[in-house]
Amino acid sequence: MLTTTETQAPVTTKVTLTFSDGIAHELAVEPGQSVLDAGLAAGLPLLHQCRSGSCSSCFATLAEGAAETLPGCGSSLLAAERAEGGRLLCVTAATSDCRFVLPYDSKVGEQRAAEGHAFVNVVERVAADVMRLELELAEGCWFDLRPGQFIRVKVPGTEQMRSYSVSSPPSALPKIELLIRLLPGGVMSQWLLDSAAVDDVLEISGPYGSFFLQDGNKAPHVMIAGGTGLAPMMAMLDTLRARPGRKPPILLSFGCQSAEGLFHREAIALRELWLPGLTVQISVDRGPAPEGVRVGNPVQAIGADGPLDPATVAYLCGPPGMLEAGRAHLLKLGLAPDNIHMEQFSAS
Amino acid sequence: MNDAAPIRRRSTVRTAGPSDQRINDSKTQSQYQPYKDAAWGFINHWYPALFSEELGEDKVEGIQICGVPIVLRRVDGKVYALKDQCLHRGVRLSAKPMCFNKSTITCWYHGFTFDLDDGKLSTIVANPHDPLVGTTGITSYPVEEVAGMIFVFVREDEFPLDDVPPLAHDLPIRFPDNNERFPHPLWPDAPSLMDEGAVALGMHRTGQSNWRIACENGFDNAHILVHMDNTIVHALDWVLPLGILPDHEEPISLIEDEDGPKGMMQWLFTDRWKPVLENEALGLKIDNLKGRFYRTSVVLPGVLMVENWPEEHIVQYEWYVPITDDTYEYWEVMVRVCPTDKEREAFKHRFDRVYLPLCLRGFNDCDLYAREAMEEFYADGTGWDAEQLVATDVSPITWRKLASRWNRGIAQPGKGVPGATKTSSIRLRRLAQGKAPGYFVEKIDDVNNY
Repeated sequence: MLTTTETQAPVTTKVTLTFSDGIAHELAVEPGQSVLDAGLAAGLPLLHQCRSGSCSSCFATLAEGAAETLPGCGSSLLAAERAEGGRLLCVTAATSDCRFVLPYDSKVGEQRAAEGHAFVNVVERVAADVMRLELELAEGCWFDLRPGQFIRVKVPGTEQMRSYSVSSPPSALPKIELLIRLLPGGVMSQWLLDSAAVDDVLEISGPYGSFFLQDGNKAPHVMIAGGTGLAPMMAMLDTLRARPGRKPPILLSFGCQSAEGLFHREAIALRELWLPGLTVQISVDRGPAPEGVRVGNPVQAIGADGPLDPATVAYLCGPPGMLEAGRAHLLKLGLAPDNIHMEQFSAS
Repeated sequence: MNDAAPIRRRSTVRTAGPSDQRINDSKTQSQYQPYKDAAWGFINHWYPALFSEELGEDKVEGIQICGVPIVLRRVDGKVYALKDQCLHRGVRLSAKPMCFNKSTITCWYHGFTFDLDDGKLSTIVANPHDPLVGTTGITSYPVEEVAGMIFVFVREDEFPLDDVPPLAHDLPIRFPDNNERFPHPLWPDAPSLMDEGAVALGMHRTGQSNWRIACENGFDNAHILVHMDNTIVHALDWVLPLGILPDHEEPISLIEDEDGPKGMMQWLFTDRWKPVLENEALGLKIDNLKGRFYRTSVVLPGVLMVENWPEEHIVQYEWYVPITDDTYEYWEVMVRVCPTDKEREAFKHRFDRVYLPLCLRGFNDCDLYAREAMEEFYADGTGWDAEQLVATDVSPITWRKLASRWNRGIAQPGKGVPGATKTSSIRLRRLAQGKAPGYFVEKIDDVNNY
């Protein structure tokens, strides 16, 4: 039975919040404190908006115990909703130990991967072994993308999934651009070369990954990209350009194996035009190198022109060898391990 | 997800791109894509909001810049600016100003009250203990007042106040500081708004075109033609060339100082631009050229400076402040340094009798209708691809590129503001009442009458 007539307990109460997926958390709620405030203070992903008892985002159902509206607060709940145990957590005090059931699962407040479909807009070969694939999310499909994250694509006609970093920024959604390395005999490569066409429909899911641009850091940024590891860097560059406030200096070091493998130079040159703080170094592992391109690996190019600011934030994406060498090199240049973010890709 | 649901494309419009034969081909255009994206203006810049005399002590006005609604209030001489959109239900505070003290402004609808300083929700009239109080607020905008003009730094909500640059970074370059770099042997140093004793006299009015169309008109050297028969030209016996053409590898120099404004200077009345005096095909010939020496430059976010115009020791500034994507507030301002009251009065006297009717009206009215004549071509976005630019268009193309590089942000389409929905019933009713979309918020004058 629910009781609603007791006065507020003068002591801390124990409140349990149960999400719809069964996840439960126990909280200590202070006298006079709202259950929402206690829950948010404990870091729980509770939905809320107005915090004043009107919008009903924080609706929950009292399952056990007693809970009343905080003194001096109003609530937009109907009497019938209240009678059935409805409460707005932002204006609710626990008057005894009690338990609430939330109408959503514990993951709602977090980012989740979605599944959906996308149409092919453009298939374009941008280098000897790189394809640019522009997709557009189908009607009704949306991804909560962060710059640097990847998506998974089901290779048409197979049951195989492939992961690709998105090279376009979240602001370009519903468009998604991928830079895909062609591998001899690869199923995706085969499909891209033989049959991919505008208006084809792909099954995709995402976004995934914890490699993405960190918010608000104004320290210099270093980006090291090997081959199609350039993709997440392009998404980050475009996001940095649109971010309000002073922009950090950015050094992009992009490397490919040889001149035939280089791609996206025009796209990079445009970012240099649009981002006064961007410096770009392009290298090829083996010569001959076209004008403006150095021979060597993209890691060595970092720090060659002088010491790095120790607060520098680094993003690396490329094959495992490049990442290991890059990390060791950056640590030697004085960067903090926490400021080195890496995304490894393996050919498949 | 229902497996049977059909997979559909989103509805989009596809247009053909420009041909590669053109001066503004796809490659050039992609270099200024950010500019093409800036239909609602460049945000995170300083813009003129009002003349000082338009905002008396304790007065409140509402305006809109780059789709951002802004309310201004003057208290004890100091001007404050906040977002003119109550966080509660979006009401414009300026429509019926309600101020209970010197440090706040209150929304007249439900009493949400905001600190003038930082926009924080400091109380709610009938709900002083609401838990929302102190936890949220509306965006505040830095304000500067110089030479009789009020400037506001129009920022995105997330643009950090610590990153706000000085006003001088969004104003034209100054003289004599720049005499060496940009010599001007034919006229005296142009004054600046920032000079001591500077007086700005002018006007502002709403133009019905996109701000970029207006801005490009200001420094377009091929448009002398439209001014051929303006009264001031005849009154002062000027004889203008048919046009002027670039005749040098660098007819325009970029201004990209690290700690200053970003823009471009056109080398007019030097050998880098040559006047066109004859068109044989049309039997046109100009004899006895007698022009006025002047020079145009432009800096972000779209501030024109015309040196030595219309007379010596005077400079004309213009702003094309985006209101929406199809309206802009056109500012025409003349600046002169007037150290004494007598000089100030003389400047005002001549301004009222000559400059205002013949230059800001007569001459510049011509520019207003010329811009409107281009508006429809660009309004749906296709004009940017369809335009066929020529050699003199080095000016707008250079401007587009440098604006793409140095803007501090591209304004998003206005949200919940006038002009965001072109066919809102209120907009249509106002039009039916004969009121064109404008800059100021219409005030509720009589609380008992609608």
